[in-house]
Amino acid sequence: MIRVEHLSKRFGNLEVLKDINAEIAQGEVISIIGPSGTGKSTFLRCLNLLDQPSGGRIEIDGQDILAPKANVPALRRRMGMVFQSFNLFAHLTVLENLTIGPVRLLAKPPGEAMTKGLELLRMVGLAEKAHSFPDELSGGQKQRVAIARCLSMDPEIILFDEPTSALDPTMVSEVLAVIRRLARQGMTMAIVTHEMEFARDVSTRVFYMDEGLIYEEGPPEQIFDHPQRQRTRDFIGKVRSLSYQVTSADYDLYALVGKIEGFCEKHLIPPRPAHGAQLLAEEALGILLSHPGPHDIHLTLAYSEKQRHLELRLDSRGPPGNPLETADLPDDLALAIIRNYTEDIGYERVGERNCLRLRVK
Amino acid sequence: MDITHSQHGSIRIIALKGRMDAVTAPLFDKAFAEAATPDAADFVIQLDGLEYISSAGLRSILMVAKQVKAKNGRLILTGLTDEVREVFHLSGFHTILRICDTKEAALAELA
Repeated sequence: MIRVEHLSKRFGNLEVLKDINAEIAQGEVISIIGPSGTGKSTFLRCLNLLDQPSGGRIEIDGQDILAPKANVPALRRRMGMVFQSFNLFAHLTVLENLTIGPVRLLAKPPGEAMTKGLELLRMVGLAEKAHSFPDELSGGQKQRVAIARCLSMDPEIILFDEPTSALDPTMVSEVLAVIRRLARQGMTMAIVTHEMEFARDVSTRVFYMDEGLIYEEGPPEQIFDHPQRQRTRDFIGKVRSLSYQVTSADYDLYALVGKIEGFCEKHLIPPRPAHGAQLLAEEALGILLSHPGPHDIHLTLAYSEKQRHLELRLDSRGPPGNPLETADLPDDLALAIIRNYTEDIGYERVGERNCLRLRVK
Repeated sequence: MDITHSQHGSIRIIALKGRMDAVTAPLFDKAFAEAATPDAADFVIQLDGLEYISSAGLRSILMVAKQVKAKNGRLILTGLTDEVREVFHLSGFHTILRICDTKEAALAELA
């Protein structure tokens, strides 16, 4: 139904979308998740040309909507959009909000539009509010009206841009219930959301966006239970982290210790692993720095709030090989400490860097 | 790391407080060199204020133990905190070094 190839979007010097490639088939429910500022909403807005893409290709049923001769209004009508901030016409009643589009843009007879509007309002549980004005409604009710208004245009796909982010928490579930119902009815949808449980339940596929890309995509079980890539794992595991760069053996150990102590205090990490993290950092850096320089070591201390795991990651430039195994050490003391304070040691080569993961016991 | 010296008869006592790591271990080496006058044979190193020891600290202590032994002296470590005790155990130091719970017990043993 929708095919996106090499989509990019710049705002001045800021490259928000770098290279988006995706396909959305009819009947699919795609949840788009990821940290703030990674281009999720921009991606949706590019799909229906609310933001003009800087490059790439978007096809709907084989038609390139970025082609100069494309009938953009007609193509756009096939896609409905529901915004975070509802965007209802405040001077029109709820029912008028639902009929104005079909009558003016689709040339539907007013009677037919009204019948359909009332039917949609019943579907979202708001028939009794048909003659109210938007200001008389709660946030959850306004958003349900916005969804009904979107459906009144008979879209083939609905794009939801954080539909519950502006709502009081007590009103989130009523809006999600309506979206779940649409999913059961087979409506094709792409939903930018921070509601992870909802995304897991409702989606056929999940796009995890990061660094201006669809960094990982897959069925909800993969993304939420077995994410394949590091940034996805960090996001799903609600990982908080601190970073520290080391370029010489004369690095500032106490600046690093201060950061680790502050980080552990902030995240209420118990004293034993907090102590272990300091020891592991000093010992692992000592080993890495025993290799010939120049040194370029990126240290990350990552804490998963979900799994309560504390992990020290050290990625360093150098010849391939686990730095713990290839170091020429005077004794086994540092390795003994590392083994004692870790639950698990992992190594992988990524590009030209050796990545070491020490899960703190 | 805070380092303080004292003497009980001919026994030299060095008390360490804080962290013994790659930065501070050389300070301990220096403090020991100053305390190890030709007439000094027996040493007590008090560790009850030491909260952190890394492999750099272990190496310094091992070096000191070798120097004391070379002069036929005796070395006793006292007052290991839980953090330091764990590192001593995982490295096997508790089997090669004499450790007492208190300074008094160490002094009695060396008397």
